[in-house]
Parts: sequence; structure tokens; C-alpha cells
Amino acid sequence: MTVAAATRRGRPGESVQALADALTMPALTVLMVGALLLFIVYPLGLVFVKSFEGDAGPTLGNYVRFFSSRYFLGSLRNSLVLAAITTAATVTLGLVVAFVVTRGPTALRMPARLTALLPLIAPSYVFGVALIILGGRQGLVNQMLGTEFRIFGWPGVILGQVLTILPVCYLMAENVLTSMDRNLEDSASDLGASALQVVRTITLPLATPGLLKAALLAFALSIADFATPTILGGGLAFLAQDALLLVIGAEYDLRMASVLSVFLILPSFVSFLVHHRWLAGRSYTTITGRGGAVEARAMPPVLQVPLVLLTMVVCLAILIPMAVVVFGAFTQLAGINNAWTLQHFSNFRGLRALAFSLRMAAVAAGIAAVLGVVLAYVLARRRFAGRSLVEFVALLGFAIPGTVLGIGYVLAFNTPPLRLTGTFWIIVLGCVFHYLAVVVEAGISKLSQIDVSLEEASRDMGASTLGTFGRIVLPLMGTALMAGLVYTFMNSMLTLSTVIFLISPGRETASAVIFHFARMGELGLASAFSVLLIGAVLLCLAVLWTVVRRRGMLVLGGTG
Amino acid sequence: MPERPILTFEGLTKRYGAVTALDGVSAAIFPGELVSFVGPSGCGKTTLLRLLGGFLTPDAGRIWLDGSDITAEPPNRRATALVFQNYALFPHMSVAENIGYAARIRRRPSAEVNRRVGELLSLVRLDGLGHRRPDQLSGGQQQRVALARALCFNPRVLLLDEPLSNLDAHLRILMRAELKRLQRELALTVVYVTHDQEEALSISDRIAVMDAGRIQQVGLPREVYERPANEFVARFVGVANFVEGEMAGVTETGEMVVHSALGELRLHPAGDLPRPGAPVRLVIRPEAIRIAPQGEAGPNRVPARIETVLYTGSLIRYGMEAEGVSLTVDQPDPRHIVPHREGERVTLIFPPDAHFLPADAER
Repeated sequence: MTVAAATRRGRPGESVQALADALTMPALTVLMVGALLLFIVYPLGLVFVKSFEGDAGPTLGNYVRFFSSRYFLGSLRNSLVLAAITTAATVTLGLVVAFVVTRGPTALRMPARLTALLPLIAPSYVFGVALIILGGRQGLVNQMLGTEFRIFGWPGVILGQVLTILPVCYLMAENVLTSMDRNLEDSASDLGASALQVVRTITLPLATPGLLKAALLAFALSIADFATPTILGGGLAFLAQDALLLVIGAEYDLRMASVLSVFLILPSFVSFLVHHRWLAGRSYTTITGRGGAVEARAMPPVLQVPLVLLTMVVCLAILIPMAVVVFGAFTQLAGINNAWTLQHFSNFRGLRALAFSLRMAAVAAGIAAVLGVVLAYVLARRRFAGRSLVEFVALLGFAIPGTVLGIGYVLAFNTPPLRLTGTFWIIVLGCVFHYLAVVVEAGISKLSQIDVSLEEASRDMGASTLGTFGRIVLPLMGTALMAGLVYTFMNSMLTLSTVIFLISPGRETASAVIFHFARMGELGLASAFSVLLIGAVLLCLAVLWTVVRRRGMLVLGGTG
Repeated sequence: MPERPILTFEGLTKRYGAVTALDGVSAAIFPGELVSFVGPSGCGKTTLLRLLGGFLTPDAGRIWLDGSDITAEPPNRRATALVFQNYALFPHMSVAENIGYAARIRRRPSAEVNRRVGELLSLVRLDGLGHRRPDQLSGGQQQRVALARALCFNPRVLLLDEPLSNLDAHLRILMRAELKRLQRELALTVVYVTHDQEEALSISDRIAVMDAGRIQQVGLPREVYERPANEFVARFVGVANFVEGEMAGVTETGEMVVHSALGELRLHPAGDLPRPGAPVRLVIRPEAIRIAPQGEAGPNRVPARIETVLYTGSLIRYGMEAEGVSLTVDQPDPRHIVPHREGERVTLIFPPDAHFLPADAER
């Protein structure tokens, strides 16, 4: 407390104002905590409770039923096998591509990086559509090669999941490799280690913690993914898909769906706990001291040739399906009738869903950005009991699969006083509280770079808490706010899992409609709206990016 | 000093785009000597070290180690060992594993590796700490581990990149002596890079002062300090006063007469005398100028006015003004003297052996 502020507070005439000012932060804190409790803790708690619900009070009966069902045990086994394969493949390939991007030939770096990140805007159902067009019974592969290949079943689900989950593992591997002190590898080489020995004794051991985290995340994402198995599974049963059918299918059973949800949460939860611990704790990559000028040295051919070849295969595996979706969007029936057409784009249901998605994502992004920045401020600048628990809850909303949050919302908000099912707002809220954590984290990390003394100076000169927040904090957090806005918008546009249980007739998202088209075999429509959806996302990103860049320069000019 | 250099490089040039980081640098390093490359940041000293270590390839120039050309050899094939500024200790290995890394990579039997690690641990006075992780050591201890690791396979030349810059001021002085001890004891040939001119003066057998990618002067520490080759060296190594003047002539006693901004100065410097009429620039260190006792008469007297007084413990540093020239004058060992005060007028005595820069030394 500064002297000036203390004397001002002592004056009698301004005591009401001072009291209001003093209450601003506590009030905001209570409001934020209440929102998190209502929209994250309460729905999740209900899922958990529901899984123990019986006709005559609490019971373990639902779990007993799960473990005595050959069908569910088969699903569990399939899910675990698929997750194991997907994890191994995505971590390995992600590391390979990251290696080429960070240490490989300069000309390859940018194209390989962009290609590896491409699936971030092309969700699982889009790859599903592409893989059917390519590998279905009358798919392009069979048409061109005259084979009897069928992608449905294991090849389809593995390929689909690997392509979808790859960018996540790639990003984490890239982060590990770029944040690693290059002097360590140089030092090993200086001490006599060959290029392969450097990789074996230094690079890989140092990357291991980061790769384990990536593996956990990939595993959790694979277990929770229902779109790929539904589109490409060819009748194979998987847990996430079963949960979907138990909520929206003929065998409507929310208790069993809740049991499955608990199993779906488990890997995400473990992964989340590990990340959370690691974020707070130590890691090999945070070593103090600056590295010297680093010049890219050529990898020796023993390493370079296989890694570059593998990277190219990966890039083709991403690019070909993307190209196929575009092809499918503009042809009558890809592979069978390749005549040019625009007819798929005029589907009313699709266009209405696209407009709905745009509106929904824009509203969700706005709310998430504002809530996230305020929550980040509360978490970063306030010390109160349970602060870390509140942050944990916000992050939890992101860590759990969107489907589980969706089931929780169905359970929580279908009765008065908070009857939201079937409304626009339940979809918005689902997206807001699923992606809020990303905004919060961006905000907290931004705030940790802004010295508290700036705010103290503002208050010292007489600004109130809210005034300081508006004049000092918000402008400085501009980039975090924009990042949160962009991230939430993009993901709300693309997500299927978060919204699949929350949509209702007339209020369906583009993602849900594409998923529906894909399941119905309407590949032209599915392709066309995939192209439109991704195009819309890219367009919005481009607009936002130019705005951010221009504003970023302004901010730099102002403070520099 | 033996005849044959152990490490020689000639015309080393390195460019980054339009920037020339290193511009035709040549030198020869002899066995058992410690040569510092000292200069401000961006002078090219670290680039030079990375070229010698094999982490960069030069755009021009060659490097020879023990007479064979190693310019194109990768780091793992060079008998040089680099100690990194941030030590680059492997965080996933113990101290002993770090130190023995070079031996294990060369697939030496584990008994031999252990023996060697034991030797090196006691050499750097870390006995009993082999099982620790690097992050459980203090900065000074990490520094010793880095050194021991680099010495593991007896490199022909040890390359040290600002090895003391991450230590606090007190420890830096201690480690300086420790490094010197090790270098003498093991007769190590060391190329030492630092931006700290005082560190370079105190630790080196020879110093190369670098600026703008070139070596400005090579010599013994005393030579570089007392007879800087140009204004840059004079300014970078220590504190220097510059007095402009003109060579007037030589007296019958062999004294050189300079007409300077401070009046006539009579000098008998070492080296060749400039021809009469030539412009000269005198370089005078602050401790070489004395403040004359009241009433004492003699040559090279200059009246001055004290502008600032700075007490540093071991000396008093005066900022003075004489005939429009700003001067820095040190009065060493201030225990028994009454310091002069700001505004006081004093008489300065200039040393007759003042060093002067050749007229063509532009910088």
C-alpha cells in the first residue's frame, strides 16, 4: 500500500467509493468461481453420480454390468489397442517431422511444418470423409488400381486417428527440440560423439519427458475420439462411439453412458495431472544461460535420408486426403462420376448449419475471451484460499473430453431452474467452458511478464481497481486476449465432440452436419461443407491475423 | 616458448548475410600458453571460438592443428575441447557420467573410465560429488565439472568461452586463479575468450584484442596495456587519457618535444620517434599522472581543475579539466592522503615515458 493511496482512503467523503473499489476484486472472484462451479464442476459431478445411480439408490451395478458385458469389454479392448497404436505412431512420426523441421535441410523446414500443422484445422471427420472417398469399396484407390481394398475397420481408424492427432504430438516434439539447449548437443559432439551417438545419448534422453507427455495426450485423445471409429470403424466397437450411441442412439441409457464417460475421463485426467505437475515443476528444457550463435549444421546422411523420406511420406499422407476432400466437393460422386458440379454447396441444411456455427463460435469466442482474461487476472494477481484449485478446475474443463462435458450438460441443464437443453446458449456455454482454460493460461503467462508495479503506479496515481484493469491491464493483455479469441473461435467452429450432444433440430453446427453426411454416405455434401467450414475458419483467421499484426505493431510503437 | 605452434589459423572469415562477423583473422598458438581473445560483444571472438571448435565452417581461411588441416573436420573429429559459457552440462547425467562422457563415447573399458573420472574429480577438487546431478551443484562447481569433462580425453587445445561470466564477482576472482593453476599444472594450451579486459590481463600469457571482426593487437598483457597499438585498444583495455599534439623536435639530451594542447611536454618514449611536424596522440594511463605537491617545480607541469572525485577504496579517481582537455587521474593508496576537493586547482606532472600512437592509427 502506498502512502498516497492510504491517505486518500482515510478521507471520510470518499469512503463509499473506496468500499466499492475494495469490493471489486472479491466480487469478480466470487463471480468467476461461481461460473466455474456451475458450468464445469456441477455437470462433471453429475456424470460421476449418474454412473452410480440405480433404480433403488446408489449402486455399483452399472459398473458390474459393464465388466460382465462381452460387448463392452470388447469395446474397451479395441479402444486400448487403437490408442496404443495411435500413440506409438503419432509420437514417433511427430518426433521425426519435428527433427526434420528443427534440424533438417532449411528448404524443407517451412513446408514440412505447415503440412504437419494442417490437420489442426482439419478435424477427424474431415479426414474420415477423405479416407472413405480414397479407400472405400468404390474409392479412388480401387478405381485406379483395380484392387478390392477396403479401408473400413482397423486400417481406417488407425490412419484417421494418426492423421488427426499427429499435429498435437508434432507440436510438443517441436517444442521439446527447439527449447533444448543446442549447446548440449554441440558439447557432446565436441567431446567426440558422432551424430548418431549425440541423438542416442543426448537428444532422445532429454526429449523423453516431453515425449511421454505427448504420448499421454495422444492416448487420451485417441480414447475420447468417436468420430473416426464411427465413420471408418466398419462395425468395430469402441468406447467413445458406444457412449455416443447410448446418448443419441436407440439404446438410450444415460447411466451406462456415464459409466463409459468415467472411463473416457480417466486417461485425459491422468494426462492432465502429469502436465499440470510438470508445468509447475522442473523440466530438462529449462536450463539457464544463453546459448551462443547457432548455425544449422547438416545432419549426416545416415540420419537425414530416412528422416526426410519419412517426413515426406507423412506430408503426402496429410496432403492427399486434403486434396481429395476438395476434389470430392466439386464432383458429382468422386471416383464414379467425376463431372464438375457446385450442387453440393447449395444444401440448405448445410448452409444453415454453417451460418449457425459462425454465429455460435463468434459468441463463444467473445465470452471466452472476456471471461478468460478476467479469470486470468484474478488468478495471477489475487491471493486467496483455493486459488490453485480454481485454476485446476478451469484447466479441467479443457482436459476432459468434449463428449463427457456434453453428457454432463445434458444431465445438468435439462430441468428447471436452469433448463438450457435445445437452446443456442447450451452450445455456446459448452464451447466457452471447454476452451476457457486456453485463454486463461495465455492470460496468466502474459500477466507474469507484466510487472505488478505498473498497476501499483496506476493505483498510486488515483485509478480505481476497475479503472486500472481497463486502462493498464487490458491494453497490455491485448495479445493474450486476441490469441484466446482466435483459439476459441477456431475450435468452436471445428469441434464435434463438445457439441454433438447439445445440438437440436434447427440448431446444429456445421461439424455435426458434416458428421451426419459422412455417416449417411453423402460424401459430396460432406466434402463440400468440409471445404466451406475450413475455408471459413481460414478466412476468419486471416482477417484476425492481419488485425492482430497491425495492432501488435501499434502496441509495440506505443510502449517502445 | 617452443618453436612450433600447436594451433594455427590464417585468414579466418565468417559472414552472416551482410554482416561480417570475422574478417581475416590469423594467429598461432604455442604449446602450453594461454591466449585470450578479448573484445566487446559482437567483435567476433565467440565466432572465432566456434570456428576453432568446428561448430561453424569459415567462409575463407584455414585452421591447422598439429600441422594438419582441420578446417573441414566436424567437432567430434577434432582434438579440441570447448567449455561452453553456460557449461552445457548434461542435465540427465550425474557429475561422474558427465565427466566420463568422452571416454564412454570412445568405448573405453568401464574400469578405465572410472579411474579417469576419479582423477579428474580430484583435479578439480570435487571428490565425492560424482553421484550428484549438475543442478545440485553451485555455479562454481558446475564450472569445474565442465572443465573436467573437457579434459577427459586430453584435448590438444582447450577452448574456453567466457568461462567465468556466469559466476558472481567474488567467485570469478577465485576461479581465475584456479584456472591458471590447472593450466600451469597440466601445461594446457588454452584459447580463452572473454569480454572482461581485466580478466584477460590477469590470466593470459598473451592477449589478442579484437574489434569489428579483426585482431587489433596481439601481445603480452603488459605490452597491450602500456603500449596499445591504437585508440580502440587503448580505450578497451583499461582507462586512457588522450592528448593531441605535434612533434616539435628533439633536444640535445635526446628528449622528444611535443607541442600539445596542454603546452610543451618533454618525453623520452620507447621506439622510433616521429618526424618533426608530425601529429602525435599521447596515451597516458590515469595512474601515470601524478598530482604535484604544493610549490614543487619541474618539467611537464600542467595546471588543472578538479571536476569530480570518486573514492573506490583502492584509489581515488579524479575527473579533471586542463586547458580544455578532460583527464582522468588516479591517486593510488588513499589511506594517508587528504583527498582533493571538487573545484580545487592542482598541478599535474605528466610522465616522460608516455606512449604515443602512430599518426596512421585511426581508431
